[in-house]
Amino acid sequence: MLSYLGKRVFQFLLIIFIANSLTFLLPRMIPGDPILEAMQIKAAAAGRQNVDIQAWVATYNEKFGLNEPLWKQYLIYWRDLIRFDFGYSLLDYPATVVSKLKGAIPWTLGFMSVAIFFAFIVGTTLGALLAWPRSPRLVQGMVPFLMVISAIPFYLFSLAMIWIFGVELRLLPTGGGHSPIQMLAWNWATFVDIARHAILPALSLVLFGIGAWALSMRATMVSVLGEDYITFAQAKGLPERQIFLRYGVRNALLPQATGLAISFGLILSSGILVEAFFNYPGIGSLMFNAINQKDYFVINGTVSIMVICAATALLIVDLIYPLIDPRIRYRNK
Amino acid sequence: MTIAKTKNKKASSFNTSLVIGITILSLIILVGLIGPLLVDKNMARVGAVKPNLPPSSENYFGTDSQGRDVFTTLVLAIPPTLRTGLIAGVISVTIGLVLGLMAGFFSGGADSIIRTFSDVLVAVPALAFMILVVARMEKPSIIAVAFVVGLLTWSGTARGIRSQVLSIRERSYAAVARANGETELEVLFREVMPNLLPLMMASFIGAVTAGIGIVMALEVLGLGNNVIPTLGMMIFWSQRFSAVLRGMYWWWTPPIVTIAGIFIGLFFLSQGLDRYINPNIPQNQKRKRISPAMSKKRTSEPATAKVKEAQGVLQVNNLQVVYETAAGTVKAVDDVSFTIQPGERMGLIGESGSGKTTMATALMRLSRPPAYIAGGEILLEGVDLLSISDQDIRKIRLKEIALMPQAAMNSLNPVIRVGPQLRDGFKAHFGNIDQKELDNHVNEILRKVGLRPEIVERYPHQLSGGMKQRVAMAVAISLKPKIIIADEPTSALDVVVQKQVMLTLSRLQQELNAAVLLIGHDMGLITQFADTIGVLYAGKLVERGTIEDVLENPYHPYARLLIDSLPSVEGKRDLIGIPGLPPELLNLPSGCAFHPRCPFAMEICHSDKPVLQSPSEGRQVACHLYEKYERLPSIPSIRVDHLLAPSEPIQEG
Repeated sequence: MLSYLGKRVFQFLLIIFIANSLTFLLPRMIPGDPILEAMQIKAAAAGRQNVDIQAWVATYNEKFGLNEPLWKQYLIYWRDLIRFDFGYSLLDYPATVVSKLKGAIPWTLGFMSVAIFFAFIVGTTLGALLAWPRSPRLVQGMVPFLMVISAIPFYLFSLAMIWIFGVELRLLPTGGGHSPIQMLAWNWATFVDIARHAILPALSLVLFGIGAWALSMRATMVSVLGEDYITFAQAKGLPERQIFLRYGVRNALLPQATGLAISFGLILSSGILVEAFFNYPGIGSLMFNAINQKDYFVINGTVSIMVICAATALLIVDLIYPLIDPRIRYRNK
Repeated sequence: MTIAKTKNKKASSFNTSLVIGITILSLIILVGLIGPLLVDKNMARVGAVKPNLPPSSENYFGTDSQGRDVFTTLVLAIPPTLRTGLIAGVISVTIGLVLGLMAGFFSGGADSIIRTFSDVLVAVPALAFMILVVARMEKPSIIAVAFVVGLLTWSGTARGIRSQVLSIRERSYAAVARANGETELEVLFREVMPNLLPLMMASFIGAVTAGIGIVMALEVLGLGNNVIPTLGMMIFWSQRFSAVLRGMYWWWTPPIVTIAGIFIGLFFLSQGLDRYINPNIPQNQKRKRISPAMSKKRTSEPATAKVKEAQGVLQVNNLQVVYETAAGTVKAVDDVSFTIQPGERMGLIGESGSGKTTMATALMRLSRPPAYIAGGEILLEGVDLLSISDQDIRKIRLKEIALMPQAAMNSLNPVIRVGPQLRDGFKAHFGNIDQKELDNHVNEILRKVGLRPEIVERYPHQLSGGMKQRVAMAVAISLKPKIIIADEPTSALDVVVQKQVMLTLSRLQQELNAAVLLIGHDMGLITQFADTIGVLYAGKLVERGTIEDVLENPYHPYARLLIDSLPSVEGKRDLIGIPGLPPELLNLPSGCAFHPRCPFAMEICHSDKPVLQSPSEGRQVACHLYEKYERLPSIPSIRVDHLLAPSEPIQEG
């Protein structure tokens, strides 16, 4: 068991190391001066004409250690990463990247986790029913529909939803995380307001998620129902329902659970486009705006957080998997 | 039957998914190829037309707020979008193929390095990385973006290829090639590569999909080339100028519908290809265990089946089990009839593919698609198992007729402890049974099969093969059935354990006085255990009689050859094998299916199927030779007495 744990933790550290090294290296392999570009945008935005941008850039480079040799920058990069210090926003200079992330992440976590859970539960149930020979025809008829839904990039649904529910029907707000006039406080009105704003962004994720979870559950169920232990359970004369639940669903849930953990790992990154469309105040919009303003350190910090989040989720999967699958628990004993 | 056959053939040769996928994609590609030649490219320039116009006969899809004709822009946007995806797909599959082959062939160092990298790529969100890189590009070129996408998405292909290579290398034809002196590299190119083609096609489709998806996402975020219109850029522009909020549906819906079309097309294409990669997955799963004709028979009869006049505990009359495959209908069990008396030990012997296991599952009415029971009767104490309701057959299973499965290691649910798996059979048949009584009973049957009661706390994988087989045996005897169908119960065990398990089964059979149908391919094992024997060849019962009679004087040449293939303890004669290979059920020889391998084949054997006839009480044979000579022409006679006596007593358990 200990060697299993050690192996997983080592793998986690390795992923973090390689991924963050890539985060450091990849952008530096591309020619151009990110600080200069950002400063030009900033100057243009401020409407200043005759600023000595070069001097500005020099100051920034000095401050962020960007004129040091690459290996030294790399060490500094790791030192800062361990301290969870991603530097400053180039455009909002005194604001740190971490403070921006802190403001954005709760929004993303909130609407995404509800969306993921909801889609998982509905989709998995549906998928199990799809694989059950006794389920109604109506359910079976949904398969092609689900396939089509899960094949389309889900952010495209967002636009249609804004149009239908926000513009045409005027049922729900078309963007933002809360109404500008709503004071954010721990009360019912705030909750309702936030929930109303979260429905549409979450809905396109849920729609896609239900299709994807249902199809994967169905596929796993079909292969589980083909196993010898199902035949033997039938030979024991067990009721169909018991075979379906205890021998079928129980076993098919294991891979689904892994999938759930992985999608939680990608929780910060999978909604980038949806957030951008809805101008939702989460990490996706933060990144979208940073891209358009070439706010380089914010982009960098956001990617780092996303990578760490994904790798951590994988580690957690590896650590909890032995608890839900006895085979792994004992094989590695 | 013929109708079902043609229907099925049609359904399997017509690959709907593939056709839908190809149709959608070719439509879009056609528009992308021909469209740009027909439209006026200037219409896609900013300010070329009056802005914000809804669709009209002049501007089919209206105009956007920047004064571009949406239709023209859309037509011009399709080729670069597809091109990026294609390039990304090619790069991704190439990298994945090379690395996957390397990982599969040079296991060890290279494998673990490649695995580590692909683990990293799985762990990181590809889109986030792409953003990081592309955000730094001044004017991202299609090639550069496609290249980075390829670099980030190869891991899926590599994993698939690696596991395929590993499994193909293990297969016999690779070993044969190696034995023929081919080097590993030759094996790779001659034996492995052709088998990877379908997988590579699917990987390619997957990579193209991922490529288009990521490139599109980047463009929608504004990370694209602002000069060349692409579908993603169209959405970005429409977002930037609030097309949705302004109600300009004509602006943002065309690119969205086109993108959705591309992805749906690719999806159906990959679904269609999947059939060639996993041909074993039945495409239109019929869940019926019994053919339509049979189920008609079932419903037309009253729910409580009449008890028919029948001999023995189990009487099988003209049983037919067929497989519906893409290549046609196969009769795996063809018109088989036999009777088992109470307490009888019947051995059923046959080569692999002779329909043994198909028969075992059919006897419990557990045939699964593509196999189903096409006709006949299975009378268990006079009750036709094929005519009773699902609920009634469920109650009969285990209690009256129990199965000892072929692969005990796979027959227990790996994630449930042994105890519950022993108990649920009782519960299913007796409802709310007292817990203590249940525990006592479970302990009792465990003791009977020679297992300690503690193992109820174990998971199946914590048991040895022999122990698992004993658990399966415990399940089978737990309700004292009248007949146990033991389907090669020891084929996965080593010889010593095999013997012990068989001795246990033998003892339990006497205790319960249950009939046992022992199915197997091991003539030695069957002759030691059984009282009577049936010989199955190509789905037909060709000989039936008591062990002594058949060993002493087999009527069918196949039975004779089986007996001759038994090793003699005294070592007085050479071992004789049976010439030739088992026949393909899809392509059975004419006349008697055995004639190509039969040393006595006559003219009539090529044309006429022999009928099963009964020369004496309890003795049956289906062979033209018997009709002619009433016994086999002389083959060197063998002594049988040593075969009947256990060669050496092995302690049970």
